[in-house]
Order: sequence, then structure tokens, then C-alpha cells
Amino acid sequence: MAAPRPHPSLRGHLLRLLLVPLAVVLAASAVFSYYLALEPATEAYDTSLVNASLALAETIRVRGGVTTVDLPHIAEQILRTDRADKVYYVVRDPAGRPVSGDADIPLPPPELRADNPAFYDARFGGATVRAVTQWAACGSELCTITVAETTRKRDRLVREILLGSVLPQALLAALTLVLVWFAVTRGLGPLRRVSEEMRKRSAHDLRPIEPAQAPEETRPLIEALNQLLLQVQELHRNQQRFLANAAHQLRTPLAGLQAHAELALSQPLAEAARAGLEHVHSQTVRTARLANQLLALARAEPGGRVEPHERVELRALVEQVANEWVHRALQRELDLGFELEAVEVDGDAFLLREAIGNLLHNALEYVPRGGHITVRTGGERVAFLEVEDDGPGIPESERARVIERFYRVPGTTGTGSGLGLAIVHEIASAHGASLCIDAGAAGKGCRVRIEFPYGQR
Amino acid sequence: MRILIVEDDASLASGLGRILQAEGFATDVAARGEQAVEAARHERFDLVILDIGLPGIDGFEVLRRLRASEAQRVPVLVLTAREAIGDRVHGLDLGADDYMAKPFAMPELTARVRALIRRSQAQTGPRIQHGPLTLDTVARRAYLSNEPLELAAREWAVLEVLLGKVEKIVSKESIIQAVAGWDEELSPNAIEVYISRLHSKLERAGVRIRTVRGFGYMLEEFKAPEGG
Repeated sequence: MAAPRPHPSLRGHLLRLLLVPLAVVLAASAVFSYYLALEPATEAYDTSLVNASLALAETIRVRGGVTTVDLPHIAEQILRTDRADKVYYVVRDPAGRPVSGDADIPLPPPELRADNPAFYDARFGGATVRAVTQWAACGSELCTITVAETTRKRDRLVREILLGSVLPQALLAALTLVLVWFAVTRGLGPLRRVSEEMRKRSAHDLRPIEPAQAPEETRPLIEALNQLLLQVQELHRNQQRFLANAAHQLRTPLAGLQAHAELALSQPLAEAARAGLEHVHSQTVRTARLANQLLALARAEPGGRVEPHERVELRALVEQVANEWVHRALQRELDLGFELEAVEVDGDAFLLREAIGNLLHNALEYVPRGGHITVRTGGERVAFLEVEDDGPGIPESERARVIERFYRVPGTTGTGSGLGLAIVHEIASAHGASLCIDAGAAGKGCRVRIEFPYGQR
Repeated sequence: MRILIVEDDASLASGLGRILQAEGFATDVAARGEQAVEAARHERFDLVILDIGLPGIDGFEVLRRLRASEAQRVPVLVLTAREAIGDRVHGLDLGADDYMAKPFAMPELTARVRALIRRSQAQTGPRIQHGPLTLDTVARRAYLSNEPLELAAREWAVLEVLLGKVEKIVSKESIIQAVAGWDEELSPNAIEVYISRLHSKLERAGVRIRTVRGFGYMLEEFKAPEGG
């Protein structure tokens, strides 16, 4: 298997792309400036070697076929003295025998022997030397004079040239790379801001991204993202339309079914037929409720709502549904009471009504006859909505699980689907509210409380 | 009593019709909005049950045309399968008198139908009848089983408010507003006293006032006392 490819980095890519030409330019310019500066400098040093050799030539004496060099000690000292280098010389008589100086300095390589003077590099005294060999008249014949010097000052010159020309260029290259690094970081800043904004968003927020401060190059990306957001929004709108239509298409026939079942049940019937019909009726009611719950769940899900939130006054909301629930409570001989204080939250009135409905439905389902149910709204610092009862309650160990979809507390009876508290939980979440399930007053019964985030008042 | 059912779903319409007939009402069914407006123009109905999702002109438009026609005062019970419409009926004054979301339990529907008809008659006639209780709104006298019922002025006023909304919770504040004069201050406690007096005067005839804790009161639908 191939090793996973690391994410290609724009910065790395740019740097690599720049690094190669920069290195080539740098190397070429180093070579160029080296030769450009080295030639004249070397020539000057070579000329001074030639001058030394010419000075030596004047000290050659030929007497009776014997060649001697009349170089006083002090003159030899001057010749050999150089601030940086050691200077060597040798004078050879026409027969090639050394007559003065350092006898072992190599002669020019054969291909240069015709040159006068001949310049060449050689090894001497354990170091590289630069040498010049030229002819001098020795009577009627020619002697050879070789002057050589170590290359220390030439090497220093090379170093100085390199340092003087290549170092600034290398620094410039390094600076370029650093600038590219920061420019990329800066240039990608707007993109980081966009991703930060996207990360902070809730799933409900499908507004397009504001391209105001984004640089030209990032526009296509932002426009593509906005296009996608628009499509998602459209998709959700279609889903909402579908849900509304599905609700209508489902509820109307269910209403008809329920009506006919109830009508039939009001007629005199055989016992078996009545039992069957009662079954049909109760299942119809259950199906209708389930359809409502599933639709509410779909609506409470992230992205399920695209309309902006409205201000909802909780007390008025409860008062709207109170009538219906008081009648149902009376039918079951339950005392349904209210302790309502006006308090506003940002929310979805339909979903909040659905939450109240589910809480009251549960209470009516599980609280035995003669029990008490109380709905409360209000809040000083945080707005809350709660339903408390003195029924059997929910065991502490089950409280975390009852908000799972389709979960039912083991051993419970009734026609519940196990969706009620899950829906309440989803609705609370969709509002950024917290859901708290605990025991009612004096540790008896159940209290479910939805607390809306601070600042929603 | 005649009820116009405006519903395009034939099964639901026939079910509604038969249930209401069993309750002693006469019913007519219109499957389209235009038909309903036409019918209400030519004949008198005591109540219209109106579905919002209709082919052709929708229920809202039917309601608007009804209110603009001779039948402007007929009580209208709106039926809807869409929560968004429930929101609008809740939130806006569209001229509907009540609304129910589909599907609904028939006893609830028939109770609301009776309440709406009673309320509209109370508004039009001088006498309000509720079981053995009769209120003569002109003479400001009450009768229980045809016997004159002695009521203090305030008690009478409270009873009138409750009778106007049988089967509906009437909040304490709205009773105070309806009963107190311009320059008077009535405490919630005072209302409690009137209610408890009314309660004891009416209870023996089987007319019951329910207390809805923390909210208000409700005159229950009259059911003949059991065991004679």
C-alpha cells in the first residue's frame, strides 16, 4: 500500500518552486562574479611574480662559462618577504642545473615550456604554489628563472570575492523565502477568517458568506461555497414543503378513519366487532399522534427550519393550548393547574407548542386519577418552561435514556411511542435550551424543565 | 340546527356528516370553496365547518368571502392539517371562531360545535340557555329549573361571562375586566368569593363551575345529574 500522501501545502509548494530558480541564479552569479573579479586580480599577482623574476635576472653573472647569482643576503630577504605568502625562487644555468635558490621547484609542465613567461600551478613544500618561469640571457645562452609563491593571498582574494558578491545575494534569497512564507500566511488570512466563521456557525445558519474583505483570488471559493449554501437552503425549503404536504395528506385520511371508527362505535355492535373496531380506533389515534411526532422531529432537526426565529411569549403560548389540555385532564380526573409568568424567548412557536403538548401528553398518560399536574413559565435570570406532576416519576437511572428516540422505561404501559421526551429534547436543543428531568416537589413524581439560554429574555 | 361542512375529502366529510346527524344536526357538504360561498349566500346555516386545504379557492379565501357576505355572522370552525395554518389561526384574527387540527376526536369536535352554536345564539338572542339554567340578558334575571334564582349584581355579571364561553377557560383577569366598572378595583380574591357563591347556588342543579388552578374558571358542559 502506498504511504498516505501528506496534504499538499500551498506554502511548501510556493517555496519549493522559488527555491530551485533562486539557487540556480545564486550559483550562476557566484561563478560569474568569481571569474570576473579573479582574472584581473590574478594577473596583478602574476605580474608581481614576473617583476621579481626580472629583478632576479639582473643578478645573474656569467664568468668563464660559469653562471652565478649575485644576490646579497639582504636582497634575498626582501625578495622572499611577503605579508601573506612564502616566496620561493630558483635560477637554473643553461644546462638546467640550479645555481641559486630552492632547487626543487618544479619546472612548467611540458606543454607550457615554450611560453615565456610560463605561468603554472604546482606543488612545493607541501603546499600549492603559483609559479612563473622565464628565460634570461646568460651570456650567449638562456638561463631559466622560476619564482613561486604560496596561494594564501590568492585564496583570501577568492574568499573575499565570494563573500562580497555571493553573501548579499544569498541573504537576498533567504529574505525572499521568508517574505514568501509570511506573504502566504497573510494572503491566506481571509480564508482562515472564512473557515473560522463557518466553524462557529450553527447548522441552522445557512446565510451566504460575506465576501467583503476577501481577496480577489478567494472569491471563486467563497462564491462556490455560497452557491452550495443556497442549494442546501433550497433543499431544506423543498423538504419543508414536502413535510407540510405529507402532514396534510396523512392527517386528512386519518381524520376520516377516526371519524368513521367513532361513528361505528356509537352504533349497537356485536361484542367481537366492537372489540375489533375499538382496536382500529385506538391504533388510528396512535398512528395520527406518531405522524405528528415524526413531523415535529423532522422539523426540530438541524436544518429543518429555515425561517428566522420569532419572539415567543411563553405564558401566552401555554394559555393558547390550555383549553384543550384542561378538557383532556378533566376526562381523566386529573387536576391540571398553571403558574404562569409572562416571559419572552426567541423560538419557534409551533415547536414550543409541540414540546408542551408532548410533556402534557406524558403526564396525562402516566399520572393516576386524582393526580396533580402543574405547568409553569417564568424566570428572573433565565426563562423556563416546566411541567411537574406527582405521578410515578422516572427512576433516576432512566432519566438519561428517556430522551433517546423510541426508548421506553421498562415495564411502562400505555400507548406511548417513546418519542415524546426525545422530541422535547430535540426541540430544546434546537432552541439552545437545556432539558432537565428530575423528581417533583418532595421527591415525588416528575418535573421536566426547559431552560432557555441567558440573554434570550 | 344546520351545519355546512366544507371538506374535499369525501370520506372525512361523510364521517363528519353522519356524526353530527347522530347528534341531531342537519348537515350539508360542499367539496369546493366556491360552492360553499354560494350555499352560504342562499341559505342560513348555524355553523360552518371549514377545511383550509381546499381545491380552487382555499379556506382562508372562503372565510374572507363569507365575512364579506350576508353570512358574515355565522360561526366558523376551521379544520386544518397544517401546523403552519394552526400558527396563523392562533396568531392572527382571521375571523375564525375556533380551530381544530386534524385528526381530532369526535367528542371534542361535537363539544366545540355545540359551544360555538350556543355562543352565537347567546350573542344574538336575549335569553341564554344552559341545561336547567336560563339567563335573561334584557331583564337581567336568572332562572334555575324555571325557578327565579337570586343573584347579586356582581354574581350575575360573572355568570354571564362564564355562560358566554361554556367549555372554555375564562381567565381571572378577563372576568375582572368584564365585571369591574371604570372606577373600581376588584381583587382576584373577590372573584373567588363570587365564584364560590355561584358554585354553591348552581351545583344542586348539576351546573358545575370548574376551577383551573392558576388560570381561571370554566363552566362545564351540562350533564344531567345521575340517579335522578
